Amino acid sequence: MKVHRLVSTLIACGLLCASTLASAYDADWKRGRIYYRSVCTSCHAAQAIGAINPSSMSKAEWNAYLQKDKHAKGKDSVKQYFSKSYRASIRSQNKAADKFADLPDDELFEDVKLFLLKGAKDGDAPASCG
Amino acid sequence: MKISHLGLLAGLLFAGIVHAADAPAPTKLNTTADHSKFKELQREFGSGSEVTKACLTCHTEAALQIHRTKHWTWELLNPATQQRLGKKNVINNYCLSAGTNLGSCATCHVGYGWTDASFDFKSQENVDCLICHDTSGNYKKLPNGGLPPVKDTESPPGSGKIVKAIDLAKIAQKVGKTSRDTCGACHFFGGGGDGVKHGEMDSSLASPDKEVDVHMDATGLDFTCSTCHKAPAHDVAGSRYIPTGKDTEGAHIRGKVDNSNPATCQSCHGQAPHKAGAQPAKLNQHADKVACQTCHIPQFARGGVATKMNWDWSTAGKLSPEGKPLLNKDAKGHVIYDSRKGDFVVAENVTPEYAWFNGEVTYTLLGDKVDKADGITLINALGGSAADGRSLIWPMKVMRGTQPYDPVNKTLVMPHLSGNDDTAYWTNFNWEKAIATGMKAANAPFSGQVDFLKTEMYWPITHMVAPKEKAVGCNECHTRGGRLDKIEGIYIPGRDAHQLLDLIGWLAAGGTLAGVMLHALVRIVRRKN
Repeated sequence: MKVHRLVSTLIACGLLCASTLASAYDADWKRGRIYYRSVCTSCHAAQAIGAINPSSMSKAEWNAYLQKDKHAKGKDSVKQYFSKSYRASIRSQNKAADKFADLPDDELFEDVKLFLLKGAKDGDAPASCG
Repeated sequence: MKISHLGLLAGLLFAGIVHAADAPAPTKLNTTADHSKFKELQREFGSGSEVTKACLTCHTEAALQIHRTKHWTWELLNPATQQRLGKKNVINNYCLSAGTNLGSCATCHVGYGWTDASFDFKSQENVDCLICHDTSGNYKKLPNGGLPPVKDTESPPGSGKIVKAIDLAKIAQKVGKTSRDTCGACHFFGGGGDGVKHGEMDSSLASPDKEVDVHMDATGLDFTCSTCHKAPAHDVAGSRYIPTGKDTEGAHIRGKVDNSNPATCQSCHGQAPHKAGAQPAKLNQHADKVACQTCHIPQFARGGVATKMNWDWSTAGKLSPEGKPLLNKDAKGHVIYDSRKGDFVVAENVTPEYAWFNGEVTYTLLGDKVDKADGITLINALGGSAADGRSLIWPMKVMRGTQPYDPVNKTLVMPHLSGNDDTAYWTNFNWEKAIATGMKAANAPFSGQVDFLKTEMYWPITHMVAPKEKAVGCNECHTRGGRLDKIEGIYIPGRDAHQLLDLIGWLAAGGTLAGVMLHALVRIVRRKN
């Protein structure tokens, strides 16, 4: 029984690892830039909080923020704004959401993350929203 | 338990096998070569030239192709005027000239180490592949002839500012096609800053929306520069030194040899671009006299980045009571005075000026006679008129300036501006020393006297094409005091009035109406009889 459990667990882990390796994603910061500016910034700019420049935080701060996954002080999650369902809900009014409607959630998230880290105040190319 | 685990295992295996059988192996779809897999690039690089050597092991002809281009030589002969142009030779009314300022200017050269005349233009390893093919956005060149910082470097020397080292291997492993970001790294920042020079090219075009440019709209057509500026054998089409004033060819068709400029509007849209709308035929008729850009670029500098409209070098050199250089900004943070450079006027959302233009450009070059008494000196005089049959009415950015010249020899001058030596103007604020050094290097005479004259430089506007709904309306030109108020040699209804012509028109209209009514009356009367 224990042997079977061990074997099946190992194989399952192996499959998961293989799957992860196969889909190792090479993030696209330019796509992240488009989504951040067209979706994140356009929504923020219309609200009291205003636009948030990538260069307003350090790489460590962005990493921590994305890791915590708490948007609007914990009212909802950050990742939901990269989900296909969110993109579907705004695609009729937002061209970036429409253009990237079918992109896997994780890939889009990694794209934006790379843009934010690159554009952070201690990043390789500190960036504004515009 | 045992059965359930085996079932789970079987399910996972089955799913994996089915997935592997159905789905093609993951790969990159935007390139046929993943450069991170090339052994030649899996090593440390101590210089840009080492990267180029690695590139050339596969791309054997690339550097030699680059050697033939104006991006490499910064020089070209205009066959119409026989003027030798290019960045190496022209004088402008921004930073004036490359000349002895190559250390800084050559950060935008597609080469490594061009600081003076000793640069080897025949060296293939001096070609900089990364400046155009970097996709990481992390590539940098220093104002030392354009060498990349392979270690943390104080730049400029003595400034205390440290430029972080870049990892050339990582950048080399991510090379790809050119993009708005790579071209824009130089062309958006011409004249010394974002949007300074062109007016319709600035960093807002890196990822623009449709309002800024319908072709480059990042969520729409997403054109890169090379979509229009085709670059066979690395030679980029569409030069501002030899522009196309009036493209009379049709749209380019795949498979058909066409040597006309591929970067004109007509090369895609043809000669009758308006297919729909209220009066497509009438709009197409305009294309005979009016450049597409005139109606479709209602303003430039529309992306939130200001462009310089006036630069007065004559006020440069003022220092604070403590003897320090000054830097004054306006309410929006734009620099409007810099001790090193003088006074500036900057603007956004600028309505162009308009002029007839047939593509001929004649520059005032070093050695050409200029005189303050003549009024405004044209840095580049545009050819064109209503009568030559080769001109269209074009929108222009007109850059106005006041710049140094030699009042004895009556020539424009090429001052030595940047550098850490005693004669650089930005170090010592002494025009006589700076100009003497610059002119000596250019092998041109200098009397030792300096004065300033007013200049104008014309920039045909062609980027930042607005959505068609935002195109210039009829009544903006067909009215007195409108956009085309100063355009001569053409009758523009609504703007122009000629008493005799108006009288003839009214008589013709009135006569027609009277004739129709008389005819109708006769018909009615005859029918009753």
